[in-house]
Amino acid sequence: MDLEKLLSFDWGLMAPEFIILIATVLLTLLDLFLPKKVNRRILGWIAFASVLVAIAALGGLLGEQVGSILHDTFRLDSFAKAFKLLLLVGSALVLLLAIDYQPKEGLNEYRGEFYYLFLTGLLGTMIMSSSGDLITLFVGLELLSISSYILAGLRKKNLKSNESAMKYVINGSISTAITLFGMSYLYGITGSTNLKAMAGTLTTLNDPQYIYLLGLSFFMIFVGLSFKLASVPFHMWAPDVYEGAPTPVTAFLSVVSKIAGFVILIRVMVSIYSAIPMEDGTTPMLFGLQDFIGFLAAVTMIVGNLVALRQRNIKRLFAYSSIAHAGYLLVAFTAMSYVMFDSIWFYMLAYVFMNLGAFAIIQLVTTKVGSEDIAHFAGLYRRAPILAVTMAVFILSLAGIPGTAGFIGKLNIFLGALMVSPSHYVLASIMIATSVISYFYYFGIMTQMFFRPRAEEGKLKVPAATTAVLIICAAATILFGVMPQLAFDFLQSNFNQFLDFMG
Amino acid sequence: MENAWLIPLFPLLSFLVLLLFGKRLKEASAYVGILLTLASLVFSVIVLVARLTDATFKAEADWLQIGDLQLTVGFEVNQLNALMLVIVSLVSFLVHTYSKGYMHGDERFPVFYAYLGLFTFAMLGLVLSPNLLQTYIFWELVGVGSFLLIGFYFNKESAKAAAKKAFIMTRIGDVGLLIGMILLFWQTGSFEYDEIFASVHAGEVSGTMITLTSILIFIGAVGKSGQFPLHTWLPDAMEGPTPVSALIHAATMVAAGVYLVATMFPLFAASDTAMSTVAIVGAFTAIFAATIGLTQTDIKRVLAYSTVSQLGYMMLALGAAGYVAGVFHLMTHAFFKALLFLAAGSVIHAVHTQDIEKMGGLWKKLSFTAPLFLIGTLAISGVPLFSGFFSKDEILIAAWANGNYVLFWLAVIAAFFTAFYMFRLFFMVFAGKERSDMKKVHESPFTMTGPMIVLGILAVVSGYVNTPWFGTFLGDWLVDGNEALGHGHIEGPAWIMIVATVVSLAGIYLAYLMYSKKTLARDWFTSRAPTLYSIVVNKYFIDEIYNSTFVYATKAVSLFLRFIELFLVEGLVKSVTGIVKGLGKTGSKLQSGQVQTYSTVAFVGLAVLLIIFALTGGYF
Repeated sequence: MDLEKLLSFDWGLMAPEFIILIATVLLTLLDLFLPKKVNRRILGWIAFASVLVAIAALGGLLGEQVGSILHDTFRLDSFAKAFKLLLLVGSALVLLLAIDYQPKEGLNEYRGEFYYLFLTGLLGTMIMSSSGDLITLFVGLELLSISSYILAGLRKKNLKSNESAMKYVINGSISTAITLFGMSYLYGITGSTNLKAMAGTLTTLNDPQYIYLLGLSFFMIFVGLSFKLASVPFHMWAPDVYEGAPTPVTAFLSVVSKIAGFVILIRVMVSIYSAIPMEDGTTPMLFGLQDFIGFLAAVTMIVGNLVALRQRNIKRLFAYSSIAHAGYLLVAFTAMSYVMFDSIWFYMLAYVFMNLGAFAIIQLVTTKVGSEDIAHFAGLYRRAPILAVTMAVFILSLAGIPGTAGFIGKLNIFLGALMVSPSHYVLASIMIATSVISYFYYFGIMTQMFFRPRAEEGKLKVPAATTAVLIICAAATILFGVMPQLAFDFLQSNFNQFLDFMG
Repeated sequence: MENAWLIPLFPLLSFLVLLLFGKRLKEASAYVGILLTLASLVFSVIVLVARLTDATFKAEADWLQIGDLQLTVGFEVNQLNALMLVIVSLVSFLVHTYSKGYMHGDERFPVFYAYLGLFTFAMLGLVLSPNLLQTYIFWELVGVGSFLLIGFYFNKESAKAAAKKAFIMTRIGDVGLLIGMILLFWQTGSFEYDEIFASVHAGEVSGTMITLTSILIFIGAVGKSGQFPLHTWLPDAMEGPTPVSALIHAATMVAAGVYLVATMFPLFAASDTAMSTVAIVGAFTAIFAATIGLTQTDIKRVLAYSTVSQLGYMMLALGAAGYVAGVFHLMTHAFFKALLFLAAGSVIHAVHTQDIEKMGGLWKKLSFTAPLFLIGTLAISGVPLFSGFFSKDEILIAAWANGNYVLFWLAVIAAFFTAFYMFRLFFMVFAGKERSDMKKVHESPFTMTGPMIVLGILAVVSGYVNTPWFGTFLGDWLVDGNEALGHGHIEGPAWIMIVATVVSLAGIYLAYLMYSKKTLARDWFTSRAPTLYSIVVNKYFIDEIYNSTFVYATKAVSLFLRFIELFLVEGLVKSVTGIVKGLGKTGSKLQSGQVQTYSTVAFVGLAVLLIIFALTGGYF
C-alpha cells in the first residue's frame, strides 16, 4: 500500500477515533511531564472534553452515507454510529464519576493513568463497533480487555482490587482463547477474515459437514463473547471483579464494556451466521439455533435475578442485576424481530442512564464510609432526601416500573418477542417472572433508604461533576420514560432502521 | 369536559410542591393538599354535570411508535369514569381535610400529604385512561403510592412488612393483567378499549382467547381488590395510618379492580366462563371474608375484612351481568366505608387502641363520631332507607335474575353475617359500661368530624339515585347508549327486598343479644324500650341455642377458612418464595471465589451446548 492509496481514504470517517487517540497520547505525555504537585484531575477534564468533542464529531458524521476505509476493515454504518453514540455518552458520564472518585486509601499517584487507560478502552469499543473484519474486531476487543484488566487493579495497595484484576485477566484470557478458536474455524472454512467476504462465501455453502463445524464455531464465539456481556455461562467473574474494582471502573465494566460486547456479538452473529443456511437450505443458522440462545437468555435472567436476592454488598448486587439485564437484552437478540436493533438500542440507552445514575449514588455513599454493605443506605432519605428520591427513580427504572425509561425498554423487548412468529412466549413469560423476582432486591434497597432509621450521621456532600451526572441521568430516565418517542424519532430520522447493516 | 385532563394534575402539583417545599411549609402543607384536591373535586363535579347531558368525550395523541405499532395517550370521559372521578376526588378531598386533624403533630406530616397527592394523582389518572396500557401504567403507580402510604410508619416492623406484602401480592395480580393485556393487544392490535370491544363484537377474537384474556385481567383485579386468594395483603395493610385506609383500602384503590372489570365489561360479557368465574370468586370472597370478620378483635381489621367481603359483592354483581348493581354498590360502598374508616380513626384517635375488647361505652363520649359510625354501620348492614340497602338489593336481584341461585343464597347469608359482625363491632365499641381507663376520651376536632358528616349524609342519601321506588336514574344513565352493559334496572321478585331486610335485621338483633344485652345497664334499656326488653327475657334460651350451636358452627367454619388461608394460601406463597430463595442460595454457594470454578462453569456450559447441538443436529 503506497502513500497515495493511503491518502485517498476518507479518513474523516474515523474522526471520533482520532480525537480519542490524540487525547490519549496527549494525556500520557502530560502525565509524564507535569510536575508531581499538579492535581491530575485536570487530566480527567481533558479526557471528558475529548469525549465531548468526539460526540460532536460523530454528530457531524450522522448524515453521511455508509462508508468504509482500509479495505472494508473499518466501516461506518448506521449501526456503528448509533452504538458509538451510546458508548461515548456512557463514557462521558463515567469520566465525570471518576473525576469525583476519592477512595480512602488514595489514588492520587496514578490517577493520571486511569484517564488514558480509560480512553484506550473506549477507543477499543469504538473500533469494535465499526469493524468490518475479524482482525480489527479482535484488535478492538483486546484493546478494551487489556485496558480494563489494568483499570480493575488500579488500586494497587488494595487487596480486593488486586484480586479482582487477577481474576479478570485469567477469565478474560480464557474467553479470548475460546473466541479466537471459534473464529479460526470461520477463517479455515472461508479463507477470509472480512465479514462481508465471509458471508458471501458461506451463503453458497451446502455441505452438511461444514455446517456442523460452523455450528461449533457459533457456540465458541457466543460463549467467548458472553464473557464481555457477563451472561451465562461466562458470568461468574462479574461479581468478584465488580466488587474489587474501583467504583468508576465497575460502572465502566457494567455499562460501556457490556454495550461493546453486545455490539460485537450482533456484528459477528448477524453478519455471518444469518448468511449460513441450515441443512434444510432455507433457515439461516442464526434462526436455526435460536432456541439455544433463548435458553441461555432464560438461564441468564434466572441466575442473575435469583442470586441477586442473597447479596449484601451493593456492588455485588449490581453485578448480578447487570447479569440479569444482559439476559433481557439477549431476549431481544433471540427474538430477532424487525425492531431488534431499535429495542436493543433503546434498552441500552435507558440502561446507560439508569445504571450510571445508580452507580453515581453508590460511589457517593460507599466511598464516604469505605464499605459497600447495603446497610449503609439505611435512612438515606433522612440524610439526603433528594439523593434518595433520585436513587428511587433509578431503581424503579431498573425494575421496569411504568413512567421510567426502563419500562419502555422492557416493553419493547417484550412486544418484540411476541411479535415474531412463532412467538417466544415462554421466553417472554420468564422475562416477566424474573422481573417480578427482581422487585424483591430492588425494593430491598428502597426499604433501606426510606423505611430504616439512618445508619450514618453527617451530611453527604455531592461534588459538582457527580451532581451533573445525577441530574442528566435522572432527567433522561424520566424523559425517555414519559416521551420515548423522542428517542425513536431520533433513531428513525438518522438511521433508517439500520438498513445499511448488511449492505 | 375538554379540560378533564387537568383533574389529576392538581394532586400531582400538590405532590411536587410538598416534595420540594414540604420541610419549610410544615403543617401548612395540609392547606396545599386540601386546596388542590378541592380544585380536582370542583372540576370533577363540573365534568360529571356536563356528562349528564353531553356525549362521551375522548382525546388522544400519539405517544410511541414501535415498528408499525402506534401507541397513544389520551383521556376519556364516559359515564363510568365521570362518576368515578367524583367519588375519588371527593373522598380524597375529605381524607385530606380529615388528616389535618388526625396526623397533627406527626414529624413527617408534609411527607404524608405529598404521598396522598401522589396517590390521588395516580388514581385519577387511572380513571381517565382510555386504553389498557395507560391504565396499566397508572395501575402500577397507584401500587407505588399505596406502598409508600402503608409503610408510612416505617419504624414499626409490621408496617414495613405489610407495605412489602401489599406491593408483592398485588404485583402477582398485575402480572396476570399485564399478560392478559399483551395477549389482547396481540389479538386485536390495539390497547384502546373501544377498538378491543369492537373487534370482540365483530367476532375477530376466538372464544377461548376471550375467556383466557378476561380471566387474566380478572387476576389483576383480584390482586388489587383483595379477592380470594390474593386478599391477605388487605387486612395487613391496616398498618398504615387510618385516613389512608379510608382513602385507599375502602374507596379508591381496592375499588380499582372492580372498576377495571366494569370498564372491560363488554369483554367479560362475551364469555360465560369468565362471567361465572367472576361471580363465583366474588360470592365466595363475600362469604369467606364475612366469616373471618366475625372473629376479629381489631377495629380496623374487622373493617378490612368487611371491605374484602363487600368487594366480593361487587364482583358477584358484575359476574351476574349486573353492571349497574356493581357500579352502584361501588359508589355507595365508597361513601359508607370511608365513613366507617374515618369514624374508626376518630375512635382510635380518642382512645389510642385498636382492640375492641378494650373499648366500650363510648356512645356518650363521642357524640359526633358515634352516631356517624352508626349511620355507616346501618348502611353497610343493608338496613332499609340507607344507601347500602338499595345497592345490595340490586346485587341480590341481579344474582337471582341471572339464575345463580346458589350464589344468591350465599350472598344472602353473607349479608346476615355482615349485619351481625358490624353491629357486634358497634356494640362492643359504643355500648356497655364506660371503661375506667378511658377517662380522658374527647371528641375529635372539627377538621375530622366535618368530613365524616359529609360522608354520613352521603351514606344515607346516595342510595336514592337508583331505587325501585323513585326511579333508576343512575342505572339508566350508566348504560345509556351502550347495550353491551345490560339494562339500567333488572326486575326482580319483590320478596328479595323483604328477605334482605329480614336478614339484616336478624343479624343486628343477634349481635344485640350477644354483645349488648349482657353488658348494657338494664335500667338504660328498660326505660327506653320495655317491650323489646321483655322479648329478650323470654327468648333467653334462643340466645343460648345460638351461642352453643349456630355461633359455634360459624366459628368452626371460620376457623376452617382461616386454616385454609394460613396453610394453603400462605403455604403456597411460602413454598414459592422458598424455592426462589433456595435457588438463590445454591447460586451464591457456587460463587466460591475460585477462578477455577468460574472457568469450569464456562467450559462445562460450552461443552453442554456443543453436545446438545451435536445430538439434536443428528451428527452422532
